[in-house]
Amino acid sequence: MNQFSKILKFELKYYFKNKIFVGITIFLVVLIAIVMCFPRFKSLFDKEDPAGIGTSEELEIMYLMTDNSMTTAEADQLEMYREAFSAAFSNYDVQIFDGETEELKNQIIAGNAASGLVMKSPTEYTYYVNSLSLYDMNTQIADEVLQHLYRVNVMMENGMTQEQVEEVMSVQIIGHAESLMGKDQAQNFFYTYIMIFALYMVILLYGQMVSTNVATEKSSRAMEVLITSAKPTSMMFGKVLASCLAGLLQLIAVFGSAVIFYNINIDYWGNNAIVESVFNIPPQLLIYMLIFFVLGFLIYAFLFGAIGSTATKLEDINTSTMPLIFLFIIAFMVVMYSMASGEIDNILMKVCSFIPFTSPMAMFTRIAMSTVPIYEIVISISILVGSVIGVGILSAKIYRVGVLLYGTTPKFSAIVKALWKA
Amino acid sequence: MILELKDIEKSFGPKKVLTGVSFKAESGKAFGLLGRNGAGKTTSIRILMDVFPADSGAVLMDGAPIDYNKVKLGYLPEERGLYPKKIIIDQLVYFAELKGMRYRDAVRSIDYWLDRLGMTEYRNKKLDTLSKGNQQKIQLITALAHDPHIVILDEPFSGLDPVNAMLLKDVVKEQIAKGKIVLFSSHQMNYIEEFCDSIAILHNGKVVLNGDLRDIKRNYTRDRLVVRTENPKLLLKDLGESCTEGENGDLIIKLAADTEKKSMMRHIIESYEIDEIKVLEPSLNDIFVEYAGDSAKEVQA
Repeated sequence: MNQFSKILKFELKYYFKNKIFVGITIFLVVLIAIVMCFPRFKSLFDKEDPAGIGTSEELEIMYLMTDNSMTTAEADQLEMYREAFSAAFSNYDVQIFDGETEELKNQIIAGNAASGLVMKSPTEYTYYVNSLSLYDMNTQIADEVLQHLYRVNVMMENGMTQEQVEEVMSVQIIGHAESLMGKDQAQNFFYTYIMIFALYMVILLYGQMVSTNVATEKSSRAMEVLITSAKPTSMMFGKVLASCLAGLLQLIAVFGSAVIFYNINIDYWGNNAIVESVFNIPPQLLIYMLIFFVLGFLIYAFLFGAIGSTATKLEDINTSTMPLIFLFIIAFMVVMYSMASGEIDNILMKVCSFIPFTSPMAMFTRIAMSTVPIYEIVISISILVGSVIGVGILSAKIYRVGVLLYGTTPKFSAIVKALWKA
Repeated sequence: MILELKDIEKSFGPKKVLTGVSFKAESGKAFGLLGRNGAGKTTSIRILMDVFPADSGAVLMDGAPIDYNKVKLGYLPEERGLYPKKIIIDQLVYFAELKGMRYRDAVRSIDYWLDRLGMTEYRNKKLDTLSKGNQQKIQLITALAHDPHIVILDEPFSGLDPVNAMLLKDVVKEQIAKGKIVLFSSHQMNYIEEFCDSIAILHNGKVVLNGDLRDIKRNYTRDRLVVRTENPKLLLKDLGESCTEGENGDLIIKLAADTEKKSMMRHIIESYEIDEIKVLEPSLNDIFVEYAGDSAKEVQA
C-alpha cells in the first residue's frame, strides 16, 4: 500500500510537471472561457456600432413587378401584393419596380437590390436572387403569401364578407402538449453527446499516455530497477490510477470553468434551450457520469498499460494498441448511431450496456436519454467493477511478463502461455 | 548471514533456463557469478530478487526461506537505465522510497552517496545531461542508497574509466568490510579475481564449477610449464606441437600428464640454455574458458 501511494504520487507529479499536459489544460480552460464570454463580447461590439443604436436600420430592397403575361386587372392589384409581401418579409424593404425584367436582373447583379419577384399570374412567379443561400426561405414565404391571397380572392369573389374570410383563414387548431412518460430525448441529447465525447477523448488520450509511459520505462531500462523495487500490481495500479486522477482533474478544470464562466455571463446567453439544458444536468446523472467515467477509464487504461509493457520500442505502440482502439471506436459508433437514430433502447444497445468494454458509454447513454430499470444499472455496474478488477490483475501479470521481454513484440499466444506459467 | 540458492529450476515455455542451480554466498565476502551470455546469470539474479518465482527450489537466508520484507536488496542491473528526462534527486528519492525508506532518510542517504561519488553538482540536473560514466554512478546510488543487506552488481565496471573504476573498487571493498553479501556478475575476470573469495560458473543453465576460488585454483590441473629463453626456436623445434609461444614471448609447454612435471623440467634445464622455468599458475580466465568455453567439460554428477 505504501509503495502504491509512492508510485501514485510520483506518476501524478509526472502529469503536473508535463508541460504539454499543463499547456493543453490551460489552453482548453482559456478556450472555454472565451466561448462562454462570447455573447458578452458580441453585445459590446453591437453597442459600439453607431448603426445599431438607431431604429432606422437600412433594409435590403426586394423588388416586385409584373411581366406582360398578367391581365391589367390583376396587374392593378400590384400594390395589394406589395403590402402583403411587405408584411411577410419584415427584413426587406419591398418596392414596386417599374421597368423590364432585364433591368431588374441588372439591378440585382449590381447589388442595388437583394432580390426580385416577377409575377406572371396570381399563382406563378419567378424569384431572382444573386446567390441562393442554403437557408433561403423566401420562396416558401412567397408561396404562402400568394396562396393566402388567392384563397381570399376566390372566397370574396364567391360572396363571402371580409370578416367571414378572415375567420376562415385565421382559424386556430388547439393542440395538446404531449405528456412526457419517459425522458425528453431532445433535451438530453446535447449533454449526453458532450459527455460521451469527453469520455471518448479522455480515454483515448490518456490510454495512449499510459501505454507510452510504460513503454518509455521499458525502453530506457528504468524498468530493470523498478521491477526489482516494486510489485507489478502496485506499479500498474499506481500508474493507471494516477492517469485517471489526472484525466478527471483535467475534465473538472474544463467543465468547471465552463460552468463558472456560464454563470458569470448568464444574462448574455438569453434563453437558449440547448445551452440551458447543458448547464442543468441533473446531479444524479453527474454521479452516474463519474461512475462510468472512472470505471470505463480504468478498464481501458489497464489494457493500454499492459500493451505498453509488451512493446520493445516506442514506435511499436501504435500498431499494438490498434485492436484496442478499434474496439473502443466500435463501442463509440454504436452509441453515436443509436443516439442519432432516436432508438436508444435497441437490442444492440441493451446488449452493449452489459459488456464491460462498451457498457460505460452504452449504459450511460441509456440512463441519460431513456428510462432504465435500477436493477439493470446495478447489474451493469457490478459486471463492470468485477471486470475492472479482473482486467487490472491480468494487466499487472502481463506487465510483469511483458516488461522483461525484449526483442520482437511477443505474439499474443506467447503472452498467454507466459501468463499461464506465472 | 548466508544466502543460498538451492536446486533452482526454471523454464520459459519449452526452454529450460536453469537446471538445479545451487550456490552459497556469505556476508562479508564477495561472490562471483560467472557465465557466458545466456548462461542463466540474469535469470538466477531475478529469481533471487523475487521478480519471478522459480519452478522449484528455494532461496534461503541462513537456512530459512528468505523474507523479502526484512532482507533488503540492492541491484545494479547490467542493462543500465533510469528516467532520462527526470531530475536526478527526484528519481533517486523515488527509488529509495519504493524500497521502503522514509523521505528524509532517503534524501540524507542520497546526498551522502552523491558526495561520496563526486556527483553533488549534478543533484538537480536531468539524467540525460550526464556522461555515460556519470549516469552509471547515479545508477550505483539506486543500488546502495537504502543500505541493502545484499548488493548485486551486474557488470559493475563496464564503461567506467580507470579513475571511476578505482572509486567503485573502494566502494565495493567498503561494502564487503561492512559485512554485506556482495554478489558480482562479470566477464571481467581480473575484477572477480581481485574481489571474490568464491565463485560459481554457470554454463547452459547449470553450475559447472562452484567453490572457494583459492581451492579451485589449487585443485586445477597444473600441467603447463612456462619457459623463458634467449633462443626459443630450438625448443619450439624439438618439442613440436606441445610447445607454443605465449603472448609475451615466453614458451608454454603442455605436458601429457601432471606427473611428467619434474622429469620435463629436469630435461629442459639440462638440455637447453634457459633463463627461467616454472609451473604455469592457472588464471580464472583459463578456468572459465575450460568450463564455459565451446568445448566445455560436461558436468560431473
